[in-house]
Amino acid sequence: MNATSEITYLQAISDGLREEMRADESVFCMGEDIGAFGGAFKVTDGFIEEFGADRVWDTPLAENAIVGTAVGAAVEGLRPVCEMQFADFIACGFDELVNVAAKLHYRQGLAVPMVVRLPSGGGFSGGPFHSQNPEAWFLQSPGLKVVAPSTAEDAKGLIASAIRDPNPVIYLEHKNLYRHVKGEVAEGRYETPLGEARLAREGSDLTVVTYGAMVHTALEATEDLEGASVEVLDLRTLQPLDTEAILRSVRKTSKVVVLYEATRSCGVGAEVASIVAEEAFEDLDGPVVRVCAPDVPIPFSPPLERAVLPQVDDVKEACRELLAY
Amino acid sequence: MATTTARPAALDSQREAQKAKLTVDDRRALLRYMLMMRGAEERAITLYRQVKVPGSFYDGRGQEAVSVGSAFALAPRDRCCVLHRDLGAHFVRGLRVGQYLCNYMGRTGSPTGGKDGNMHFGDPRLGCVGMVSMLPDMSLVACGLALAFQMRREPRVAMTWFGEGSTANGVWHEAMNIAGIRKLPVVFILENNQFAYSTPNEHEFAVDPVERAQGYGFSGVKVDGNDVEAVFEAAAEACERARGGGGPTLIEAVTMRMHGHGAHDDMRYVPKELLEEWAGRDPIDRYRTRLAGEGIDVGAIEREVAEEIARETEWALAQPMPEPATATEGVFATEDPDLGDGAAPWSRWAS
Amino acid sequence: MPQMGVSVAEGTIVEWRKRPGDWVEADEPIVQIDTDKVETEIPSPASGRVKEILVEVGTTVDVGTLLATIDTGATPGEAHADEHVDAAGQADVADAEAKPPPVSPVVRRIADEHGVDLGRVQGSGRRGRVTKKDLLAFLENGAPKLHSESPYVEDQAPAAGGQELSIMRKRIADHMVHSLQTAAHCTTMVEADMSRIEAARGRLSYLPFVARAVIAALREYPMLNATLEGDRLTVHEDVHLGIAVSLGEDGLIVPVVHNAHELSHEGLAARVKDLAERARDRRLEPDEVAGGTFTITNPGRYGALLATPIINQPQVAILDLEAVVKRPVVVTDEHGNDSIAIRPMTYLCMSWDHRALDGALAAQFLSAVRRNIEEWRS
Repeated sequence: MNATSEITYLQAISDGLREEMRADESVFCMGEDIGAFGGAFKVTDGFIEEFGADRVWDTPLAENAIVGTAVGAAVEGLRPVCEMQFADFIACGFDELVNVAAKLHYRQGLAVPMVVRLPSGGGFSGGPFHSQNPEAWFLQSPGLKVVAPSTAEDAKGLIASAIRDPNPVIYLEHKNLYRHVKGEVAEGRYETPLGEARLAREGSDLTVVTYGAMVHTALEATEDLEGASVEVLDLRTLQPLDTEAILRSVRKTSKVVVLYEATRSCGVGAEVASIVAEEAFEDLDGPVVRVCAPDVPIPFSPPLERAVLPQVDDVKEACRELLAY
Repeated sequence: MATTTARPAALDSQREAQKAKLTVDDRRALLRYMLMMRGAEERAITLYRQVKVPGSFYDGRGQEAVSVGSAFALAPRDRCCVLHRDLGAHFVRGLRVGQYLCNYMGRTGSPTGGKDGNMHFGDPRLGCVGMVSMLPDMSLVACGLALAFQMRREPRVAMTWFGEGSTANGVWHEAMNIAGIRKLPVVFILENNQFAYSTPNEHEFAVDPVERAQGYGFSGVKVDGNDVEAVFEAAAEACERARGGGGPTLIEAVTMRMHGHGAHDDMRYVPKELLEEWAGRDPIDRYRTRLAGEGIDVGAIEREVAEEIARETEWALAQPMPEPATATEGVFATEDPDLGDGAAPWSRWAS
Repeated sequence: MPQMGVSVAEGTIVEWRKRPGDWVEADEPIVQIDTDKVETEIPSPASGRVKEILVEVGTTVDVGTLLATIDTGATPGEAHADEHVDAAGQADVADAEAKPPPVSPVVRRIADEHGVDLGRVQGSGRRGRVTKKDLLAFLENGAPKLHSESPYVEDQAPAAGGQELSIMRKRIADHMVHSLQTAAHCTTMVEADMSRIEAARGRLSYLPFVARAVIAALREYPMLNATLEGDRLTVHEDVHLGIAVSLGEDGLIVPVVHNAHELSHEGLAARVKDLAERARDRRLEPDEVAGGTFTITNPGRYGALLATPIINQPQVAILDLEAVVKRPVVVTDEHGNDSIAIRPMTYLCMSWDHRALDGALAAQFLSAVRRNIEEWRS
């Protein structure tokens, strides 16, 4: 059993990435300002000193180039870990991602073992271009895997798995969790399996299905909800979804709230709700409810942003209503 | 893994002498591959007209020298991203004509198993990465392949092709820029065939793109795209530069697209005189004449190629259509096998 | 709340015809109310857009209480600020009143798997819905949380596909057989001219009037208001009137209007309505089916003319009120002249226990009932 230490979510990502780079020379990082500057959020702080400029590449401001070049390098046997400075900027590299990276294996049988790290999410007046949760875009692109850790422990394990996976993996790291979430994390290398959800809390009256920063919101909101026993399921991987875990929980509690910070339409909430309705209809004791941001760009001013991003009270209210149904 | 070669001067000049040397067999091979490309595309267009090819059809008639000449310079461990008018490159690297025909027909036996059509393929066993429709996305992928060689300190080259139209695209700029910044061992073959679909050069750029290479920090060279040996020499030199750490090269091969953008295009926007002029410079006619003049039995080569194409066509037509169940397979990889090496028919690589 | 009659002090909202945001014309029905006297529609005092509903359905308020507000300054066709929200919310409420609560998929499945009649399960969910928890608790405990002397008996045996009688049916069966075997049943019938009651009843049924007539007659002939247990006959002064209520296929139940002699026919109507509703919803308390001294059964709306009801033990008599039918009858005017008139007639069929009384008394009692009916005065 490895020793553990209490580290932040950000530190966990950094450690995980470092471990993988130490273990396999073919792993390297590329992104804007990740080298000398250590990354906009300091995830790769100290990396260039340890691994050299070759493996910690300060790319020009060119997202398509980052992603497209990563595809070529991955096809030739390297394991690039790209960093988009903000998740929002993946839009500038979208073409190479969905048209080249995502489809290469389907069309050609070519594995593309690359990772694209996306600092995502809002809650700090980042405004419309620094606050997005764009996971739904990738769920619509067959060939991409998508993960979204919520704890420091999972952040480290999932970056490792993402790097070892022979497919392009989108790694959503929520900016708000970087320094606010800490956890006991084992030292050394370990992998958290993709496609497996985790029960953040067991319960029997109602399930909140969620991921990323919202896991913490869900736990706080349902800690003390008039004695109700609320189960919180942390999806961890969004593609592929751990459908079994979702259905298992629904069969137990018969009431589901899907909580996600992204905008409402056609997101993870819609996907989970559909799966539940299709495959667990006879286990439902109430409608499947979604708590999420409305279909608006994320506004800048704090009261506006708070009105849009799901808050603890929103979750409490939705749970209360469903419990009473 | 990392090896740096310090080359003594004597070896240098020897290599210079060796660089662009073509034997008689090499020449035969060059003609053969061009004939194969033309013959295969003619066969494919016939099949298309016989409704055996769903979707669209694209060929590179008149441009055979560009892909054949440039791909001929590649070593076995080099890699390439082949585009839709560069069928010759696939053949040089070892692709069977039948595989090409199967890909157009959507049959098993094709490199994609029916998952993608027309020229959207590459045989990974031959080190070829297949193209996507968005041009020139593959130029960045080629940069990535080159990056891997650079990081591993390997004397290997990545080659890719694109038309003059895609130089207008932001992705092209990003690829050129990255290649220049890192001095990546990549060779960009710019096929200027005068028209991007119906758009002529003057609508695609204000400055001849070969001159823009300088703006990205590396050299650009213009060659007669219908002279297979000129293309070959330029490509061989560019590959050598890349292998030695000299960085990327942009080769503009000036040629003419003799058919429409696709079989659905009647090319009415192309002035007839232009077509006639370029018809007089047909790369295969020119090379055939030259080789015949040197005493090579071009007739035998033509017959061989025709027979091979006929055999391959028969084989391809016998391949079954893919099983519907395979439509949802293969989205994700479970393994990560390496790209294979391509054939490298240039005598230089025969050891 | 309007005053619908001099003695009316309060009214109950039965149904709102308009919701906030709706447009209403002056004199258009806006709400339906119920008072002791009558149920009626109230026309809107003005045209405008309904702003706020202040008293909800089912609530009883004093006459003069403000029920709703109308914005008379609004114009028709303009969207109300809250219309969408209200419409949705009110639709929920309206639905809740109108439709029975839904059965969720998981409850349906578990109920089917265990052969549970959901009517027997207490619902704690919204609109009285049986939740999964309710059902699981029901299955675990095997009994709903009612009084041990519950008038309802839960059905443990699977109902679907079985040949056996339900337990409720069995209990009714036992009671009926016991009654026939215990009492010396006789049935006496009189016919009564219902003209006056017809004229007086308005929207009420015949039952409360007949009940009132019966109660008055029982006060006159208390021997019919008695219970006989073994050899012990108890004549009661107070009338606790049992009214038989059909529970459809499940059977019937006889809730009791205690101290019915204190109620007017309107009061009787209201009490009977309440008891009947609650009986069908399985919400009667045990006390409410016990202690009756006389029973009336009224299956008249199905058109039968005569019947021989079975006495509700341990009472000594039961009156069956069958259909009221127009018939040609001989009427004699004050001069003694006979003529044929068409009158609404009914047969009052009373079964009585010959152990406790004799035919003469039975006939006298029934004649008194008839008299009370035919000389009805509001």
